Amino acid sequence: MKAKVGVYICECGPNIAGKADLDKIITYLSEFEGFGDVELVVKKYGFLCSGQGKVYLEEEIKKQGLTHLVVGACSPRDHDSTFREVCSKTQLNPYLYKIINIREHCTWVIDDMEKATEKATSYLRAGVARVLHHSELFEHPIDVNPDVLVIGGGVAGMEAALSLAAENRNVTVVEKSDCLGGRAGKLSGFSFQKWSSPDQAEKLIKAVRDNPHINVFLDSEVTSVIGFLGNFEIEHTSLESKVITELLCGSIVTATGSDLYRTTGTDGFSYSGSDDVYSSMEMAEMLASGEEIALKSGGKPASIALIHCVGRDEMNYCSGVCCTVMFKTACMIKARHPDISITHYYRDICLPSGGGQELYSAADSAAELVRVKSCILSGTTVKFKDKTGAESEQAFDMVVLASALAPSEDTKSLSELLGIPVDETGFFQEAHRMTNASATTTDGIFIVGTAHGPKSISDSMWFARSASGQILTKLIVGEKLVPEVAVTEILEAYCTGCGNCLDVCVYGAIYSDPARGISIVNSAICRGCGNCYGSCPSGSLRTKHFTNTQLYREVDEALR
Amino acid sequence: MPKNGSVLVIGAGIAGMKAGLMLAGASKKVHLVEKLPIIGGKVIKNEESFPNMECSTCMVAPVQQEVLQNSNIETYTYSDVESISGSKGHYEVVIRRKARYISLVNCIGCGMCFDPCPVSIKNFWEENLMDMKAVYIPTAGSLPNVPVIDSTHCLHLNGTQECNLCVESCVFDAIDLNDKDEVITVEVEAILIATGSDVFDLSLLPDLGYGKLSAVYSPLEFERLFASNGPTQGELTLRGTDVSPKRIAIIHCAGRKDVGYCSTVCCMYSFKFVRFLLHKLPDAEIFNIYLDLCVPGKSYQEFFTTLGEKSTKMLFTPSIDDVKVTEGDSALNVSYPDASGETAELMVDMVILAAAMVPDPSLGDLAETAGIELDNHGFVKRTEKDTGSMETSKEGIFVAGSAQGPMDIQKSVIQAEAAAGQIMKIMSDSAVEPDNESALGS
Repeated sequence: MKAKVGVYICECGPNIAGKADLDKIITYLSEFEGFGDVELVVKKYGFLCSGQGKVYLEEEIKKQGLTHLVVGACSPRDHDSTFREVCSKTQLNPYLYKIINIREHCTWVIDDMEKATEKATSYLRAGVARVLHHSELFEHPIDVNPDVLVIGGGVAGMEAALSLAAENRNVTVVEKSDCLGGRAGKLSGFSFQKWSSPDQAEKLIKAVRDNPHINVFLDSEVTSVIGFLGNFEIEHTSLESKVITELLCGSIVTATGSDLYRTTGTDGFSYSGSDDVYSSMEMAEMLASGEEIALKSGGKPASIALIHCVGRDEMNYCSGVCCTVMFKTACMIKARHPDISITHYYRDICLPSGGGQELYSAADSAAELVRVKSCILSGTTVKFKDKTGAESEQAFDMVVLASALAPSEDTKSLSELLGIPVDETGFFQEAHRMTNASATTTDGIFIVGTAHGPKSISDSMWFARSASGQILTKLIVGEKLVPEVAVTEILEAYCTGCGNCLDVCVYGAIYSDPARGISIVNSAICRGCGNCYGSCPSGSLRTKHFTNTQLYREVDEALR
Repeated sequence: MPKNGSVLVIGAGIAGMKAGLMLAGASKKVHLVEKLPIIGGKVIKNEESFPNMECSTCMVAPVQQEVLQNSNIETYTYSDVESISGSKGHYEVVIRRKARYISLVNCIGCGMCFDPCPVSIKNFWEENLMDMKAVYIPTAGSLPNVPVIDSTHCLHLNGTQECNLCVESCVFDAIDLNDKDEVITVEVEAILIATGSDVFDLSLLPDLGYGKLSAVYSPLEFERLFASNGPTQGELTLRGTDVSPKRIAIIHCAGRKDVGYCSTVCCMYSFKFVRFLLHKLPDAEIFNIYLDLCVPGKSYQEFFTTLGEKSTKMLFTPSIDDVKVTEGDSALNVSYPDASGETAELMVDMVILAAAMVPDPSLGDLAETAGIELDNHGFVKRTEKDTGSMETSKEGIFVAGSAQGPMDIQKSVIQAEAAAGQIMKIMSDSAVEPDNESALGS
């Protein structure tokens, strides 16, 4: 069939028509013979984006029987989708259309009418050249599985499971340890006045247990993950019996939590467990259980030092929760043992949660607060530089270290299993630090709670619900997903299997087929970013809608 | 009322837009109400946002575009929620769309009407650091890119004289001085409050000189001063002069004691300001007078430590409430108690106050309209029944972002996503048919 290309120029009132000679452009293009026997229809219209303009364009595409369409108008940011929608109402495949920006790129920035006209002409000519090499592309909606896998049964994982589970959405929780609850689960009873949120863990455990749409596997690990948003195939293995269970789901919530920073000795804090130095967690568990606070040698301590910011310099972040935990610890000890003297050694007070200042005031009357520039430990003696820099030391019977929250040990191996990266802090990396923090670069895999980074229980819950929100609004029961159409494909005959493309693909869309010695692109995951395209030394990759031919022809004509 | 698959979102900042887009993407009909003539919220006031130091406009503009083009979102700019009645699943909402006097359909935002307008007024959006006409868009890059006429100052609209200059200048017939407020009633199943926050009123801290000493700046004033689309095109010059500051003091915790909480974002934006200053004034000397560094989260302290000791002098004071700013011989005199409690003095030519985040002043009225409770600081209170829930004290009404408490962009978006999920879960399965005619976004 002979190609018939429509070139429709939007006047945009005086914005385009007032600054470029559209009649001259129309005459030039209509008479242009550089495209061989391609038939060109070149017209202008007042406002193509208006209701009337869209109807006009739709009728023209049908009436003229256009095979390709070029619209000379504004920035694609403004109206690319407008004209794409117009095409979809006609016989014309929307990928055989291209918008050319002759407003922002030409008439708005060039005062000289002749030059603006010339530039707009060459852009439109280039647009025709490009669109002639476009191919029809079609959307292929895929079925999706609404079910969810949650890895980790701590507060964040349980919160995610509960906010997702429903009649038509099953959630499977795979937990490594032998119980639900995670770190918070060990702390019910670690509460002072209204600062008692860990009790929440018990409520959550009961709700998860009672929910018929949540299936819990304890003592189990996820051992295999393949697939993509909407269609994951999972295997999880019982640690004890080694029985492998298969599972299909549409999305994965990673809620594997964190560990406490381990002192190294070189950081000034020895923590061997042999003397009366405790981690904040050990002390919190002691307080939660209602046990007497006792020295290793027996007997009650007369003085306790609470040291803040342990590991903060080494990890290069503030965990944001330790001050709250330490103040709560002080208040609880004081409430039970008014005769124990308590001293905080802190560098900054960081109380980001609401009500933090009130807790601070309560702690202020329960304990002595000593601001230090730095401090180290020798046995149970605290050696510190005070706020003016003067050195001092003070002996205590017992010391509690507020250690930073650190990435959990299995973060690395999970990162490989799930194909999601770890960032410079050692925690899982989010898709976008500000605007998409619970998602990862792999669609359908989320990170919540302290697996994402140190955070409080309420922040962990919000992250969990944020992932749920994305799953609930994206994977809707009974609806299909439409993957990106302009994706990369591989010309297998040319591929040498060098694997460059695997390294640069941020979406994990490419895998290697060792049997055939080539790379394979999964078109359901690929977003068509083009990273691999540039990395391929053999020219075997081709990103649809951005092919070399299309780009070269466009540039050739622009520079003619 | 049958379940109609509709939801109301109040506030078109980053939280409201994000939640709106998620729900619209799930085939819900979203009524998005914004009191300003433009959408985007506070984030677009920042040239760059921490910790990524990413261009805020580049980050938010695509979201704004998507909101305006989404056929499931009906955007009501320059509009207020007048009343809310009903209960969970069945709310009736009355929206007043204030007369804009300029057609959102016909206007293409060419700006030809600005020059002829004879009235100049202070530009509130630019923190009053520059003037604008009575027919205005708040800032370059506004979306929707359609002006509005200030009816109190427009000579025609306030009855001073028969001025028609803007109407005559418009070649698109987009201006209608007879435009009237429009009252619209919508029925929705759920409501999300995402009205954001404000900056602590610094004039309540007379010791810090704000409002009296021209070289003392609020954080939003400084954001706009630095912004390339702001009043000085990003030229860092002292108010009313063309002189750049050489010594700058950033005073932390302004208003912390008064509001009774730590806003958790001020340290971070203060360090962002240090980067801003050094970027444009590499020889400037910068001082941070602080009490506590509050930089919680995995990437925030690093934002500070990478500044290095040469970038800014960190001056610890044990008593941040005793810092005073007074007029010195040639510049500003900052006095503060140093680590040992002695009074130290510092001469600077610019002071930036890291002010606390406070509830938006309109939140009290909205809470009354919606019948929801506020907490003791005036932010929206979440339900006590469920720790992680974004529901307010009233069922079916949710909150997200800094209307709930002081927070940064990350947490605002996280809460918005959380709220969208909860709303999705309580709403009926009824989806709306896409309505292409509302795609222009009004």
